[in-house]
Amino acid sequence: MSSLFWRPAGNEATQAMAVSKKVMTREEWEKKLNDVKIRKEDMNTLVMNFLVTEGYVEAAEKFLKESGTEPAMDLATITDRMAVKKAVQNGNVEDAIEKVNDLNPEILDTNPQLFFHLQQQRMIELIRNGKIEEALEFAQEELAPRGEENQSFLEELERTVALLAFEDVSNCPLRDLLDISQRVKTASEVNAAILTSQSHEKDPKLPSLLKMLIWAQNQLDEKAAYPRINDLSKATLEDPAV
Amino acid sequence: MYLIKEPLSPSSAISLSSIVGCGTRSFFHSPPSTLHELPPPPSLSPPTTTATSATMPTSSAATLSSDPILDRLSSDDSEIKLIAIREVKNHIIGNRTKKLFYIKLGAVPAVAAALADSDSNSDSDFNLIVQSVAALGSFACGVDAGVSAVLEAGAFPHLIGLLSSSNDKVVDAAARSLRMIYQSKLAPKYDFFQRDNIEFLLSLLRSENENLTGLGAGIVIHSCETSAEQNILCYTGALEKLTTLLSGSLSQRDSSLESLAAIIKNNPEAICKFVDLHSGRALSSITELMKDRYPRTRLLACMCLICVKNSSSSYLQDIGIKTKLVNILLELLDDSGQVGDEASFAFSSLIAEKEDLQKLAFDANAIDKFHSVLQKHPLHPKRLEGVFLALADLCSKLECCRSSFLSSQVLNLVVDALTHDDASVRTAACICLRSVSRSIKNLSAGRFMSERIVFLLVRLLSDLSTSVQVASLGAISNIVVDFLPHKSTFMQSGGVKELVQLTKAMDSSLRVNAVRALRNMLFQTDKMCKEVIFVELTASSMASLICDPEPSVQEQALALVRNFVDGCVYSVEYAFAEDGIILDAVGRQLRKSPTVEVGIQGLYALSNIASGNEFHKDAVMQLLFPQAENRSQSFFNQFLQSNDNHLRTAAIWVIINLTFPESPGAFGRIVNLRSFGIVSQIKKMFNDSCMDVKFRARFALAQIITFGDS
Repeated sequence: MSSLFWRPAGNEATQAMAVSKKVMTREEWEKKLNDVKIRKEDMNTLVMNFLVTEGYVEAAEKFLKESGTEPAMDLATITDRMAVKKAVQNGNVEDAIEKVNDLNPEILDTNPQLFFHLQQQRMIELIRNGKIEEALEFAQEELAPRGEENQSFLEELERTVALLAFEDVSNCPLRDLLDISQRVKTASEVNAAILTSQSHEKDPKLPSLLKMLIWAQNQLDEKAAYPRINDLSKATLEDPAV
Repeated sequence: MYLIKEPLSPSSAISLSSIVGCGTRSFFHSPPSTLHELPPPPSLSPPTTTATSATMPTSSAATLSSDPILDRLSSDDSEIKLIAIREVKNHIIGNRTKKLFYIKLGAVPAVAAALADSDSNSDSDFNLIVQSVAALGSFACGVDAGVSAVLEAGAFPHLIGLLSSSNDKVVDAAARSLRMIYQSKLAPKYDFFQRDNIEFLLSLLRSENENLTGLGAGIVIHSCETSAEQNILCYTGALEKLTTLLSGSLSQRDSSLESLAAIIKNNPEAICKFVDLHSGRALSSITELMKDRYPRTRLLACMCLICVKNSSSSYLQDIGIKTKLVNILLELLDDSGQVGDEASFAFSSLIAEKEDLQKLAFDANAIDKFHSVLQKHPLHPKRLEGVFLALADLCSKLECCRSSFLSSQVLNLVVDALTHDDASVRTAACICLRSVSRSIKNLSAGRFMSERIVFLLVRLLSDLSTSVQVASLGAISNIVVDFLPHKSTFMQSGGVKELVQLTKAMDSSLRVNAVRALRNMLFQTDKMCKEVIFVELTASSMASLICDPEPSVQEQALALVRNFVDGCVYSVEYAFAEDGIILDAVGRQLRKSPTVEVGIQGLYALSNIASGNEFHKDAVMQLLFPQAENRSQSFFNQFLQSNDNHLRTAAIWVIINLTFPESPGAFGRIVNLRSFGIVSQIKKMFNDSCMDVKFRARFALAQIITFGDS
């Protein structure tokens, strides 16, 4: 989760350089912030949106019960989506594919890139488990036709097949494919596709709001010194450097 | 200018007439008209191959029925059957090769039979129904052979029936599968004129279920084609219902945009109705969607607005929205998927035939943009086709676009594509070449007469695809109009032989384009070139082309004759070869009250012949005004009285050349013309409303009067 937040670097330097900037004290700033009204329901909706998009079903159920905020989608579908995601993260790609197909057969039928990435992940898992012959057969039967249908897959296909050429895959130049981050990448691609098929935004709103906050602060840095939020997780106002 | 030059010598007068009338016509006007006559580019998936593979299951099913999966699919044990169906489903989803494999194996009828045997009211059969419906839908997804196999297996009515199931999952699955089928051209046409059908469609569109509204929109997208169909959808509430979906979910918005475009396309009445909906908010919400986050939605919104703009004179005509459309579509080219592929086609529909939009696109650096798209590799054939067609439209009118095209390296990329595996790409590349080669400046510099271009184009004349042949003829028609003696490049490549072969083709679009190419090649050419073409083509073939059943071929054939006989006296002799078979054919065609275009070319051909010596002039006189004919009702008079300015002009040109005062027989011919009432008719044209006609008429009268006025 921490990867969702990022911290801008180097704002101290820009602040130090500016001389004629307007200075806002902490009191002034807090007073201004107090004048801004935020509706409670909006907060709850944002939280619910985050829980639902990220797939925290139980938390969402509890939150619904406690706050009465209606989720934008059927909570049961979240469980299904999480099961798919988890299957990919655990390396059970075939299982994940079957689950997606039960959820909505259109997803993989109309999304060749995602389908290719899942097949590629399947091949990677076979290699990881040392099932070299099976991997070879799989590459010929399943992956090669995809490369013929769509030339843009060829390069990735070649890279994946090249894994077979190394005795010690954990130490080869292509080892990033075997890294757990490759599974996470594939899993989040599936997750996004399922969300889109449910007419739901594939990213939660909260990170965009925080991104906008940082962007706005960076804009403001050029004009004023003010209590800035540097640590997003604590959201503390830091005294302006004057 | 003509008046000063013309009296100097008969032949120069005639050359001028033929440049103004014929040469320039064939050059400036006929290339754009070729663009209209071209058939639309063929779709990427050739129906012939799908048809054969579609018929295969029956035969292969018989031989392969021992395959274990087929046995399991039709097992009596419903558990085994269910597992087998799910297995097939999971194999084929996303996998075109597997789909084709199972279709050939005969799996589709087996799955359809399992569906037909199931009991939709039984709970235990519920899973079997959902799985088999999903499998059938996947067979139909993106594979036409699958669609026809599903239809042939009789599954369609079952799927429709399941839409009214009480189980939501069954309804969802059936709606999705039907939507897949409706995405194919092979799906049965939906008859909107039956009351029940319209009611059913409206019930789909009114549903809360997104899959059902999506299916409703899909049916409209598939089956709404004629204006009668568009109107019935407007007046029964479908248009209104689809408009409200604009504020629905992502997929609803997209299918709403696409179906709205289908309803309003080329239908001003439907557009008025649409714009008035929801007090005019529909149009502005689509304008908003042009800026949507999702590229597909942006594209569909643009396509919808283009439909409105193209068939209405009152909406979306301001420069702001036009610029926006151009810019958004150019940006969408960056999308690496289907949206990027389709963006160039939408761009074409926006700028085709519209000079102001082509200028806007030029100012937005469209040529550079397309050039950079072409530099990415590898490119999907659809993408290449779209980009070439867009470039063709961009370069169809404006010289600035053509210069920009030629100064970048785009030309090489287009020429390379002449050998592309995909016929649609080859066609598009030819169309692009034809459009760019309208540049007189570069044409006269021999820019397109490189051996490579000519060789490749001539080779495409014997392409297996007719549309490639036609497109190649179009490009050749332009590049052989060459002001310098580069024509030998073309003749050496064996091009003349190929062209003459194609004038005998069964397909009239091939004939008309082949004759046009020869006609343009003859434009202001030398004796040698004429000789080569004449020997290859022969007088008798020319005569039969003049009498072709297709008026468009007749027109081109007469224009060809006109260019043949243009110039010195030896040229005129061509019309008299083989006992004057060509001249006879011209005369016969003119007497048949031909179309205006045919008449114009026929008269100019005669006008050029009448510029020859006494023998030639008398032959034309004899053809038009035979002694035995009823003098009060000469058919030639009808041309002089035509409503068409060009036709009247052409007719007067004949008279001018017949009455050229310095030729010895002029007096006798004038006497004859008087007796046929021609002179009195020309006098009536002394103040013709058309400036051109007026000048020619006065010029003719001036010549006639030198011999006295009675």
